[in-house]
Amino acid sequence: MLELDGLRCRFGTVTALDDLSFSVPAGQVVGFLGPNGAGKTTAMRAVFGLTDLAAGTVRWNGAPVGQAERRRFGYMPEERGLYPGMLVGEQVEYLGRLHGLGASAAHEASGLWLDRLGLVGRVGDKVEALSHGNQQRVQLAAALVHGPELLLLDEPLAGLDPAGIDAIGDVLVEQARLGCCVLFSSHQLDQVEDLCESVTIIDHGRVMVAGRVDDLAASGPRRLVVRVEGHRDAGWTRGLGGVAVSEVSGGRARLVLDASADSDTVLRAAMAAGRVTEFAFERRRLSEVFREALG
Amino acid sequence: MKAVAVLAVLAVAVVLRRWLRRRRRAGGPAPAGRGLGPFTSDVWLVAAREMRERFRGRMFKVGTVLILAVVAAAIVIPTLTSGALAPRRVGIVGTLPASGRASVEAAARSVGTTAILSAEAGTGEAAAALRSGRIDLAIVDGRELLVDKAFGSTDTSPSARFVRAASSGLGLAEAVEAAHLSSAQSSALAGARPLPVSSLQSGRLSGPSRATSVIGLILTFVMLSQYNTWILIGVMEEKASRVIEVLLAAVRPIRLLAGKVLGIGLVAFAQASLIVAFALAVAGWTGSDLLRGTAPLVVVATLVWLVLGYAFYCWVYAAAGSLAERQDQVQSLALPLSLPIIFGYIMAITVAASGSASAFFDVLAYLPPTAPFAMPVLVALGTVSWWQFVASAAISLACTVGVARLAGGIYRRAILHTGGRVKLREVLGRTAG
Repeated sequence: MLELDGLRCRFGTVTALDDLSFSVPAGQVVGFLGPNGAGKTTAMRAVFGLTDLAAGTVRWNGAPVGQAERRRFGYMPEERGLYPGMLVGEQVEYLGRLHGLGASAAHEASGLWLDRLGLVGRVGDKVEALSHGNQQRVQLAAALVHGPELLLLDEPLAGLDPAGIDAIGDVLVEQARLGCCVLFSSHQLDQVEDLCESVTIIDHGRVMVAGRVDDLAASGPRRLVVRVEGHRDAGWTRGLGGVAVSEVSGGRARLVLDASADSDTVLRAAMAAGRVTEFAFERRRLSEVFREALG
Repeated sequence: MKAVAVLAVLAVAVVLRRWLRRRRRAGGPAPAGRGLGPFTSDVWLVAAREMRERFRGRMFKVGTVLILAVVAAAIVIPTLTSGALAPRRVGIVGTLPASGRASVEAAARSVGTTAILSAEAGTGEAAAALRSGRIDLAIVDGRELLVDKAFGSTDTSPSARFVRAASSGLGLAEAVEAAHLSSAQSSALAGARPLPVSSLQSGRLSGPSRATSVIGLILTFVMLSQYNTWILIGVMEEKASRVIEVLLAAVRPIRLLAGKVLGIGLVAFAQASLIVAFALAVAGWTGSDLLRGTAPLVVVATLVWLVLGYAFYCWVYAAAGSLAERQDQVQSLALPLSLPIIFGYIMAITVAASGSASAFFDVLAYLPPTAPFAMPVLVALGTVSWWQFVASAAISLACTVGVARLAGGIYRRAILHTGGRVKLREVLGRTAG
């Protein structure tokens, strides 16, 4: 388990991390969310000792993280970093060796991961000859080649096509199933919701919300999706106490009910307005959790 | 000067002792990456990658071939134009006594060649043979020497020196004969050796040592400039491509930097060794006099100071590279760094050409930025003793340790700092804090 405990970091007058504390359990894919400048990248860099902390500790399985532990971690930074003129296979192999693999093990693992990520025919190409998406796959292979116990991925899905997102998503879930600790940041909340079991949302260097996706979705006020034939807006809800319209699109009204509201009353009002073609309770979406967490 | 050198050696000894004591006190297990053995540690992995990529590079291959071509030309062309190796062909008109023949052969030996004596029917035939180039010198009746073209008084070519030596030798032989000396007295005179000459001022470079020294200076200048620029650009590129963040997730900054300078340094030393070996082979093959006299000592001194010079400058260039993020920033950083190299090179070339060193130049031989150029020239002049050489090397090594520590701090602070060129003052401030 990775634990970040009371991390503080300042850049000049800007507070990047403000007593940031959270943990990432093994065997889970954890989403790390927050607006731009929230401190996600700084927190990830702190795990690898790439940021000078004013206070706080990063622990791995209860012990402070040192260079020996970091060699067992995999990292994919936000600013992709590879030697442009180096051959793809050699590059992944080299990074594997820096993380402690022997020569033959690094060669074997490099071939395996490049094959798995659809780059088997590009092993002898220079990195600069690859497309953006393929470079991203090489970067992921470099983070995975040494079989890390912890994977920290900063925006791994940015700029990828749907096939690329699926390929990388599958790898992350698989690694978690194998017992790896996976933390990744993203602004693509739909993908995060699909991939992650837990999320941590931060802002201004502080944790705003953290928990399992299912629990967060089920928490908060009840939500209803109602479609009434002939009503493109949600005018029929006027006068219903404790009911707020969250969103109307394509004739579907998304309603938020507070504790005083009764779903039966809403159903009756809808039936009175016309033929009801859809009436369902809905989980809170991650985007809504995110917006509410950030106020 | 002697006192300064002794103090410098003592200072190095104190620093080393303190360092060893601190290491003993620190104790504990070796950090990750150190316990894997010298050839599998992270430092070696980084060095090996640098070497592999540099050896593969087209710039390295083309540059090496060009340097080898220049070195070959510098050795072969003087040999071809000097004519020193061609045997001297001497035509004899009339008779020449045995002592006269011995004098001619001794004259040929004095310019590094042999004499081929042949009989000519008469003075007219000898003159014709001189004009056609069949012979180089004609001796008429053992009393007169005939050449095709007169040699000027300042002409130091092997042909001129041979004719002068033959002229003196024959004159001496004639005088000995006229004096009716005994054979023992004649032999004593023939075996006369010049007395050794000692000088109060510093010596002048002999031909071979001067040429070797100049070639060594050019090699040192080219290699220090080239390989330090590689370090500067290499560090900048790792920062610009952001691969540095991936590397530092696995390797400590100082070890990454050490691997880089070690790798590029080994490439530089390999190239320099190849060039020197090639030069030795070509010089041996052509019979060049570049390696005669003190020249071998100059070659060794040049190689030693190439290593010491690289060790001193590589850290400075690496730290500068960590401040930059773009090619144009590299150029503005490289210029001030290259000034001491250019200064040392120009001073050393000037002294090598003039053949005498000033007191100021002697001081330059003890300053690490200029010593790689100045000390080999003093070795060629023969004006330094071994302990002065060692003292200068010790000063350079001690300063290298200090520079490496400072550069490591700058590198660690600046290498992850993106978004424009980092100001040195800002980094030094943070290092101090």
